[in-house]
Amino acid sequence: MNRFVIADPDKCTGCYTCVAACVNVHEQVGLVAHPRLTVIHTAKVTMPVQCRNCDDAPCEKVCPVTAITFQDHAVQINESLCIGCKMCSLACPFGAITPFGTLPEGAGPVYGGLAQPMPSEAEPVHPILAWTSGQRTVAVKCDMCHFRPEGPECIRVCPTEALRLIDDAAINQSAMEKRARYSGMLAAVHSPGVQID
Amino acid sequence: MTICPYCATGCGMGVSLQGGRIGEVSADPAHPVSMGKLCLKGLYGFRHVADPGRLTMPLMRRADGFVPVSWAAALNAIAEKLNAMKSRSGPDASALTVSGHLTNEDHYVARKFAREVMGTNNVHHGGPRATGLRAALGSGAVTNAIPEIGEFSDLIFIIGSNTAECHPLIAMHVLLAKARGAKLIVADPRLTDMANKADFWLRIKPGTDIALLNAMQHVIIKLGLQKLAFLRDHTTGFEEVAAAVAADLPERASGITGIPATDIIAAGQIFGKARAAAVLCASGIADDGTLASLANLAVMTGQISRPGAGIFALRGSANSQGASDMETGGGGSAPIDLPEAIMAGRIRALFIAGGNPVISHKDTQRLQKSLRELEFLVVADLFLTETARHADIVLPAAGWAEKDGTVTNTERRVQRVRAAVAPPGEARADWWIFQSLAQTMGCKTMAYAGPQEIWDEMRRVAPADFSGISYARLEKMPGLCWPCPTEDHPGTPILHVGGHFATQSGKAALTPVPFVDKGRAPDNAYPFTLLTGRRVYHFGTGTMTRRAKLLAQIGPEALIELNPADAAALAVREDDFVKVSTPHGEIIAKAWVTERVPAGTVFATHHFWEANANEAADGGKSTPAQVVKSSILEVRSALVEKNVEYRPELERSTAARLRAYGHAAR
Repeated sequence: MNRFVIADPDKCTGCYTCVAACVNVHEQVGLVAHPRLTVIHTAKVTMPVQCRNCDDAPCEKVCPVTAITFQDHAVQINESLCIGCKMCSLACPFGAITPFGTLPEGAGPVYGGLAQPMPSEAEPVHPILAWTSGQRTVAVKCDMCHFRPEGPECIRVCPTEALRLIDDAAINQSAMEKRARYSGMLAAVHSPGVQID
Repeated sequence: MTICPYCATGCGMGVSLQGGRIGEVSADPAHPVSMGKLCLKGLYGFRHVADPGRLTMPLMRRADGFVPVSWAAALNAIAEKLNAMKSRSGPDASALTVSGHLTNEDHYVARKFAREVMGTNNVHHGGPRATGLRAALGSGAVTNAIPEIGEFSDLIFIIGSNTAECHPLIAMHVLLAKARGAKLIVADPRLTDMANKADFWLRIKPGTDIALLNAMQHVIIKLGLQKLAFLRDHTTGFEEVAAAVAADLPERASGITGIPATDIIAAGQIFGKARAAAVLCASGIADDGTLASLANLAVMTGQISRPGAGIFALRGSANSQGASDMETGGGGSAPIDLPEAIMAGRIRALFIAGGNPVISHKDTQRLQKSLRELEFLVVADLFLTETARHADIVLPAAGWAEKDGTVTNTERRVQRVRAAVAPPGEARADWWIFQSLAQTMGCKTMAYAGPQEIWDEMRRVAPADFSGISYARLEKMPGLCWPCPTEDHPGTPILHVGGHFATQSGKAALTPVPFVDKGRAPDNAYPFTLLTGRRVYHFGTGTMTRRAKLLAQIGPEALIELNPADAAALAVREDDFVKVSTPHGEIIAKAWVTERVPAGTVFATHHFWEANANEAADGGKSTPAQVVKSSILEVRSALVEKNVEYRPELERSTAARLRAYGHAAR
């Protein structure tokens, strides 16, 4: 069964510590230096959104080069095999896959929003189709920090403990608590000898 | 273990080295405030320390730019200039500004230098002075320790503080309180992440806080929720306040603040009935009137001087509190309008120790003009900042990770900071700079061997507050809150215990604060209100955080928050460039289309010189702070336009600023 990280919007203060931590650990092991979670701010909630590692993952289905596979209860992308076609990004129902690539060495600075690392660059048509010359884009998404025995770094650094790991045990625990609560509710309305239909 | 160099929460952290540089920062599990956690600035904001752009030699301005010189040459040149200025124009023609990032020891020596060598009290720090609180309670300091919020408060009332972004680990304590069942009321025009968590979010019209606070007091008195015995024994002026707020009906306040009258009534009622209410405020309401009104509210309900009940007027930078505490030793004067004093010729030589007012000053246009009028400017900093580029002499300062000393967080906790690495090149601690300059100018009495000797002198100068806080004790415990008069004293987390206030009479002095509408209403020419403040991933003018790669990646450029309704009316989509103009200036940056700002309001920051909100500022003459560091909330009228032809105009705008701020295209 799949494992994934999820945020509790009641605890998330939008501090972006998880985002920085994510880039940090992935960069250290030579993976693309881009966050695998995105903080969203709506009128109701602030929270990071990340991959749910779906059991029947649409991204896995659409990948034409089998760069996406299900391993160790999670969907993994092989950055070396990825051809940057962005089909997975379009297919993902959570918006959890971001196409991104590391800029070439010596790319210029960004001033006043003028990200112009290379000359004669076309205007992006859509964020998913945005490109920068000299930059090879690959699909980037939460990999559960599979290279870290301690587990996902975002969970470790979150100052308000808003992030947690959902796996078999967590789902069983949650279901047991809800069954107990439900039976308690039932007991409250149920008198001996009365048939519930 | 050391203390985070950014905000005034003062979180504890450990620094580990890799190849002689800082490799990793980890949270101090035993720290009473941060409790084993850090925000992203603490964890990843250290990479500027080893940045190749650090200043390593004193620089002297020549006709064709800066040239590196020896310390002896730089100190001699400064001494000569300052001595000449003193004999020609008197001691008060020179001034010193000190930043909230220096240690207590740096501040002490800087002030002693000004007082004993220069003969002036012209020392200014940019932090808020909380004069309104000082007048009411006898002290402008935060009244309680931060962990009390999580442990004891059953109501948290946040007004004028974007706590989640500006003090993230204090926000953690607010959430701990909520998990215990405490209620949260937030008054903020923006849907901040504290407003998002609030039980009552009062979406207040900018600049109308006093009207809300007075109406809450009206409700409290009407319901008889004031603490009569406490008022009788420990306060003066309640009758006058009661008479003044008698007319502040919630319905009337609703018309001014835009908050439904029922919400104002509920807020007053909940506040009046709370067991322990913590009031959190910051530079969003830094003016004296609002703080005085807040003091009235807290004191009349007895929400002061008990565990979890008090006023947390949060400071901005790591040592903003220490910057004002070190005035105890003498030196330091009333806040002044620095550009005005320079333009009028009263100040002709200036020494800026840390801080980057060219970006952070709320009227940067006027400040920059005034800096050009100075006869002599010295800047000591880690980098050649936008301000340092105006200097005649630039001195390389050691940073937070390179010096020993103490800093005082916003809850008055004096904590040890420790050097982890050596300063680059010939960079030196600020106390060393001022001491060496004093010696160069002929002073024989300043020859400290190190920070401990300086601190011990401070303990003798202000024994009631600091005598009990020795380096030896700070080795063994995670800081001590002043006042701490003796070495067996546990420190004072809660001020004014038992209703014994620090005023002359020993009583809290309540004063009526009538609401006066000072904000300029939006009109047809400038239909928007511009709010300015901070974002969680950057600090101040970005001198440190923009050089920390991970932080710069999360916040690569300025964003202007724009309500979806306004965006639709202007046909602006997310990431389109917009131009915000006021009569004072204009900035161009990408739009962040978000409900965080109400319709008719835009929000921008001063983290980016490319699009600095302070360029569009109008001078804020009613606010006494001269250097603005953190989440200042100012009300301004603005025009927002979609920049259809953004590319050429943005290029012009960026090119102009590249020149103005001296950033050559690298």
